[in-house]
Amino acid sequence: MSTRTNNAIEIRGIRKTFGPKVAVENLDLDVPEGSLYGFIGPNGAGKSTTIRMIMSIFFPDRGSLRVLGKASAVESKDRIGYLPEERGVYKKMKVGAFLHYMARLKGVDSAEAEKRVREWLVRVGLEETYRKKCEELSKGMQQKVQFISAVIHEPELLILDEVFTGLDPVNRRLMRDLIREQNEQGRTIIFSTHAMTEAEQLCDHLFMIHKGVKVIDSPIDDVWRRYDPQTLTVEPLDAADTQRGWARLPGVREVTERDGVLDLRLQDGADRQSLLRAALEIAPVRRIEMKRASLEDIFISIVAGEGSTEDLRRELQADKGGVEEQEVARG
Amino acid sequence: MDKVFIIAWKEFVATVATKGFIFGMLFPPFLITIVILVLPLLINREPPKVFGHVAVIDQSGVVAPKLEEAFSAERVKERRAQRLATAVDQSTRAMGLDEKERKLAQQQVDQMSRASAAGPGEMLMPETNLELRVLASDTPVEEAREEILKATGREQRGEGDARLALIVIPKATVSGTGETTPAGRPQFASYEILTAPRLDVEVQGDIRSETSRAIVNARLENAGQDVEKIRGLMDAPQAQIKAVTPEGDRATNRVAQMLIPGAFLFLLWIAVFTSGQYLLTSTIEEKSSRVMEVLLSAVSPMQLMVGKIMGKGAVGFLILLLYGGTGIAALVFFAMTHMLVWQNLLYLAIYFLIAYTLIACLFASIGAAVNDINEAQSLMGPVMIILVIPMMLWMPILRNPNSMFAQVCSFVPLINPFIMVLRIAGSEPVPFWQIPASIAVGVLTVLFMCWAAAKIFRIGVLMYGKPPNFATLIRWVRMA
Repeated sequence: MSTRTNNAIEIRGIRKTFGPKVAVENLDLDVPEGSLYGFIGPNGAGKSTTIRMIMSIFFPDRGSLRVLGKASAVESKDRIGYLPEERGVYKKMKVGAFLHYMARLKGVDSAEAEKRVREWLVRVGLEETYRKKCEELSKGMQQKVQFISAVIHEPELLILDEVFTGLDPVNRRLMRDLIREQNEQGRTIIFSTHAMTEAEQLCDHLFMIHKGVKVIDSPIDDVWRRYDPQTLTVEPLDAADTQRGWARLPGVREVTERDGVLDLRLQDGADRQSLLRAALEIAPVRRIEMKRASLEDIFISIVAGEGSTEDLRRELQADKGGVEEQEVARG
Repeated sequence: MDKVFIIAWKEFVATVATKGFIFGMLFPPFLITIVILVLPLLINREPPKVFGHVAVIDQSGVVAPKLEEAFSAERVKERRAQRLATAVDQSTRAMGLDEKERKLAQQQVDQMSRASAAGPGEMLMPETNLELRVLASDTPVEEAREEILKATGREQRGEGDARLALIVIPKATVSGTGETTPAGRPQFASYEILTAPRLDVEVQGDIRSETSRAIVNARLENAGQDVEKIRGLMDAPQAQIKAVTPEGDRATNRVAQMLIPGAFLFLLWIAVFTSGQYLLTSTIEEKSSRVMEVLLSAVSPMQLMVGKIMGKGAVGFLILLLYGGTGIAALVFFAMTHMLVWQNLLYLAIYFLIAYTLIACLFASIGAAVNDINEAQSLMGPVMIILVIPMMLWMPILRNPNSMFAQVCSFVPLINPFIMVLRIAGSEPVPFWQIPASIAVGVLTVLFMCWAAAKIFRIGVLMYGKPPNFATLIRWVRMA
């Protein structure tokens, strides 16, 4: 097979162990240039390990890896922007000096670095902090500073590990816009997260890893199709109407009810158009819609049965809470 | 390579441009300079003054007249001049100045003395205005003593007629107790001096030595001897010690023999240890603040480590220049540059590079391996031993710089730069071949340590969690 492809990253059968623990097992991955890859998976799934191998911080025990056409990221560090999960700033350093230093380390010359630092600080609303010490910034502000340090050298490939953690809804939105903007400028982007809503809204391609093994690697639209739950949600105006003959509707396999909301599970190949019409005739409804799987549902359905599902759900709920606040802020 | 220098420069500035460094490192040499230059002026301008009287209860009746003479104004002045001359003589000998230079120094001191109002020797003995008052020989000591208590605090202000001291001389001090030791020596009673609590030490010493002298003189007279003749016989001569060298006889210099190598060792030690410490804390900070992986997104662990070692090494070199420079400036100021062999400074720089790189490799590995400064403490022990050994060997090696022991130590990895600096600066010339040979041993050690440190550093920087011990570090080194 020719290696002259348009893939920013090509991973073939890599395996990485830490002592007895297998972190990544027989992993293949192609990230085409210009794509926006969402990297999901529960804590400890092997996301950061995979990313660190892409960055040549760890080396795989087995398998091969090409980054931007080179055998190792070391050879193209200046073309990659990387925001690690374990990230920090020099507490005593001034924000401007820190960013300038990072830009210099990534091969930007001094005058140009200075110009870009100032532009970026204005861009994210932190121009006031240029002369402040990094430790004086809030966690969210530090996060933005770190994001700048990852993109200041205008890399071709941008790898963002857990970029949304610790951000408030307004800043999550800003971060999402910034990532999208970077992608529109033609950069290949990989971001890892366990905030499913961010992944849903942002990525065009989904990659999920669980216990070191790849479980999903496909365009986001395919994911939706494959995990279509085939469920019609109905909320009758009158709670008493929930007892009417919903189960007898054509194509309905099963009905469940919770707090006055009905989930009608459909048979394969059911005619949704006529079903909707028939449903409206049974009783007046407040709401009726075809349900779409959330990434959260998919995520949990894959991880379920593997132990701490409750913890996972709680964690995901917390992330979702953030999004709801965001909607409020937007309004 | 560019990135290494960017890191090195940042590391250098981050250390040097802090208040801690400026105060901790720049202030001491500055302070020492100020003290050396300004303190003598202060002493000159403000000689302490002592006013009051010294009382004598002389039961023998023969000592008091001699004391009265000894405390007359011109005798006090004479004594001061004499003491200054002796002090100048002793210190110029200790510095190892030759006859001509010592005469010159003596003349300078004389000039300075004449210029000041209080007369010569005021730097050594405060200006006094002590009057000797002879009390009746049957005055009760208790009563005379009370006067001192009343005077306390007044002597410095020069108020009233303060009694500063009381000398009590029993009869048997001069005439003897009538007993003899088994060897046939006559025994004499002692005498007492009571003083105000804060009487100047120099004045106290003067009173005691003059009283003692007066008593001995009285005893000699009592025994029918010629006092002046005997004093003349007892004046002990002090020979000048000279070392025989191919270039001629040179005044030996005990101070230089010990101090110059000591200063070299101290300089090397302080520069290596301080900069190593900076390296350790900055590496730990990068780890604990999690900035490490952000840096590794731009540079390789090796570039980071080399850059950091270079940057902090520059800090160490700056310390070396500052402290060494202050020392050399002091030698120039006191016209003692002949004590320094200039090429030793070059060796100091070379051995600094070796010693620093060794310690830096150790500190960088430890810093990269631990999560915080507390965990570093337990790994620091062995490193501290390496740093302490040369300090313990300072004396034995200086006393005999070419002993078998010293020669063996010069080739023991890790401590040999320190030992060689001591030996080279010492008084006996080191066999020349040992210098390149020990440098070679040092460089080989450096290469090995860099190799090992690079491995530990690469693995350690991203390892969080359980603090490692030395066994873990060695395992990391052996990992491919």
